[in-house]
Amino acid sequence: MGLLVGRRGVRNTGSNEPHLSRRDVLALTAVGLVAGAPRIAFAAESGSQLTWAVHVSLAPTWFDPADTQGIITPFMVLYALHDAMVKPMPGKSQAPCLAESWSATADGLTYEFVLRDGVKFHNNEPVTAEDVKFSFERYRGAAHELMKAQVAAIEIPDAQHVRFKLKKPWPDFLTFYSSASGAGWIVPKKYVEQVGDEGFKKAPIGAGPYKFVSFSPGVELVLEAFEGYWRKTPSVKRLVMKVIPDEATRLAALKRGEVDIAYSIRSELAEELQRTPGLTLKPVVLQAPNWLYFPEQWDPKSPWHDVRVRQAANLAIDRDGMSKALFLGYCKITNSIVPYTFDFYWQPPPAAYDPAKAKKLLADAGYAKGFDAGLLYCDSSYSNMGEISLDNLQQVGIRARLEPIERAGFYGSYGGKQYTRGIIQAGSGAFGDAATRLASFVVKGGAFVYGSYPDIDELFPKQADELDHEKRAAILDKMQQLVYEKAIYAPIWQLGFLNGVGPRVGESAFGLIPGFAYTAPFEDITLKTG
Amino acid sequence: MKQYIGKRVGYCLLSLFLLSVTIFFFVRVTGDPATLLVEPGASQADMDAIRHQFGLDRPLWTQYGIFIASLAHGDLGQSFYYRTPVLELYLSRLPNSLYLAAVAMFLSLLIGIPTGVLASVRVGRFWDNAGKMFTLLGLSLPSFWVGLVLILVFSVYLGWLPSSGAGTPLHLIMPAFALGWYFAAAHMRLTRSSMLEVLGSEYVKLARLKGLPQSLVIAKHAFKNALIPVLTLAGINLVIMVNVAIVVEVVFAWPGIGRLLYEGISFRDFPVVQGVVLMGGAMLVIVNLVVDILYAVIDPRIRLGS
Repeated sequence: MGLLVGRRGVRNTGSNEPHLSRRDVLALTAVGLVAGAPRIAFAAESGSQLTWAVHVSLAPTWFDPADTQGIITPFMVLYALHDAMVKPMPGKSQAPCLAESWSATADGLTYEFVLRDGVKFHNNEPVTAEDVKFSFERYRGAAHELMKAQVAAIEIPDAQHVRFKLKKPWPDFLTFYSSASGAGWIVPKKYVEQVGDEGFKKAPIGAGPYKFVSFSPGVELVLEAFEGYWRKTPSVKRLVMKVIPDEATRLAALKRGEVDIAYSIRSELAEELQRTPGLTLKPVVLQAPNWLYFPEQWDPKSPWHDVRVRQAANLAIDRDGMSKALFLGYCKITNSIVPYTFDFYWQPPPAAYDPAKAKKLLADAGYAKGFDAGLLYCDSSYSNMGEISLDNLQQVGIRARLEPIERAGFYGSYGGKQYTRGIIQAGSGAFGDAATRLASFVVKGGAFVYGSYPDIDELFPKQADELDHEKRAAILDKMQQLVYEKAIYAPIWQLGFLNGVGPRVGESAFGLIPGFAYTAPFEDITLKTG
Repeated sequence: MKQYIGKRVGYCLLSLFLLSVTIFFFVRVTGDPATLLVEPGASQADMDAIRHQFGLDRPLWTQYGIFIASLAHGDLGQSFYYRTPVLELYLSRLPNSLYLAAVAMFLSLLIGIPTGVLASVRVGRFWDNAGKMFTLLGLSLPSFWVGLVLILVFSVYLGWLPSSGAGTPLHLIMPAFALGWYFAAAHMRLTRSSMLEVLGSEYVKLARLKGLPQSLVIAKHAFKNALIPVLTLAGINLVIMVNVAIVVEVVFAWPGIGRLLYEGISFRDFPVVQGVVLMGGAMLVIVNLVVDILYAVIDPRIRLGS
């Protein structure tokens, strides 16, 4: 302000006193009035409410477990509104929820669930075995055809018991029922039949810790604590989820106290968040590994056919440096394309960064001067990773050019097996276990498989038929070991998802469920006291 | 006159038909929405199920036929992402967009017209140069940058205004200014050139020769006539503000139609993109139709010439 006065106000009048014109006085008065105006309080409403700044548009399909596609985002809302028979919870990837317990027969053909006593929907109707059967049959999201093809019948011996009869043993039944689909999330049959699918999306009723209050598509969702939730009564009475698409605006809203939790704050903004007193950076490791894939490895004329070249590429990638540069070091380097949270995950030896050894391996393979690897294809939203990968590879002599492609186009072409030359940088956040991940990305016929190895292919049907958990785990371990030894991929990391938490939040519930991106379970979230 | 109006209405319908064809096929060039609705690595069966559910596995002309048939019944289709009728989504966002556009338009005219007039009567002097600088900044500074600077200054540092969202008049100030800023520059430029043109006309010279005071010449004789093209442009700009204030609405998380279009484009939600573009197109066509008819009423040479 002083600077402004000095510039505009000082006139050469021959005296040392500043002279203010009539216009200057008016301007200063206006500025003074504005500056002196009482500061408006926008802090999130005190009391028992928490407000989220959500990075994606909230959709009504997320209120209905029947529509859950194979993406993680709907679970951001499902964990609040609904409950599942069995679902990932803190400390357990398959925790009993609406089902108090379950058992499987020795032949692997029957799974029986016992419903928890006294659990209720938000309309105070009890959760019954009929609702469980209805929810499964109504499910139409990802993997529904697969699940329905496996299940021969659903029996209801009584209101507390549900029995799933399979056509043949399917060791992954519980994986799909508990986490890889929405089929195990229970909706009230009577209510859904009464209001219809569209009515249900407009006013959903579930058995989760929070009740639906209001929703404006793509704008805001308001929820209220359900006192009758079986696990515990949520301590925060009201949740508001506001969609704020712009990252910088989300951070501004968090700084201002307009929101208490902000999803997805990256790079420089995350550093800014870390520097801001009162705010906390909450990184979460997603169950979404990224990797480099070498589609030419099955072509004997290609340098990539030599395992030493692929190993050299693995040694050339500075994963720690990349993570620090792009995600403040919060990515988890697992050296696998299978998320560490998945069932049957096998931990490979740690990833190493050793350019000297990489150069030696290349020289041993006959590429002492390196080689031209063509294009490095990537999803354009991760081209920053691609640039670093490219630079790392270049350091050891593997020369490539970046080819960023818009996400849908990239995955369409990747799955369409169009990138037969060069290097592919990709990733997957698809649900499942080690077997499903290997099926899609390693085993012959997989959606993203450009070639395969017979020894790995032979093991795949064996694990699928194996009902003994330990024996099956051993086969899947062996398969993952072979993937590592053959250096089919150069795994980079499991992505770090960075979020911000404001000063009013006690327990944010970030990271309580391993691999889950968002805050959950909601009933564990607390406000600071005092 | 009836024939003239009939012709104009015919042109309008033809324009809308061409727009519907263009947007329907162009939006499909962007790729397959199913790939954005599942995680990478999802099975082919899941992808196919999504395509079937949205009717994307049918031939393009069949899809277009269904789209036009629904349109004839006032149905813009159902959003792939929200699974909600597009018309319902559009109408739920329309009041916010109208509100924002009205205030932004008011601000843009409030700033643009006086500065334009001032610049035209002080050609080559301080106010004219300041106006040129303002125009340059207004037209060249990106809206998202202006928006972020406003948030930083007025929300984060000064703490006077909420950073995002809607609900109170205070929420409106920054987005309206960010949106109005660009249009103020455009209005200022047009006002200036229009005023200069009118000020050089014979009747203004005559008015001056008659000895009328300068203020009266400007206010009564020049300004009124110079305003016509500005208001015509303002009408079209208002439609643009309502329908495609994408950047401002995204930066300020303003729940309007621009943001809906952004979401539609992001998720390849074809029905939403088609619906918003068609509604915007229909608004423009209607505004132009009304203007054409008004011109014909005011000036018979127009309808006779046609």
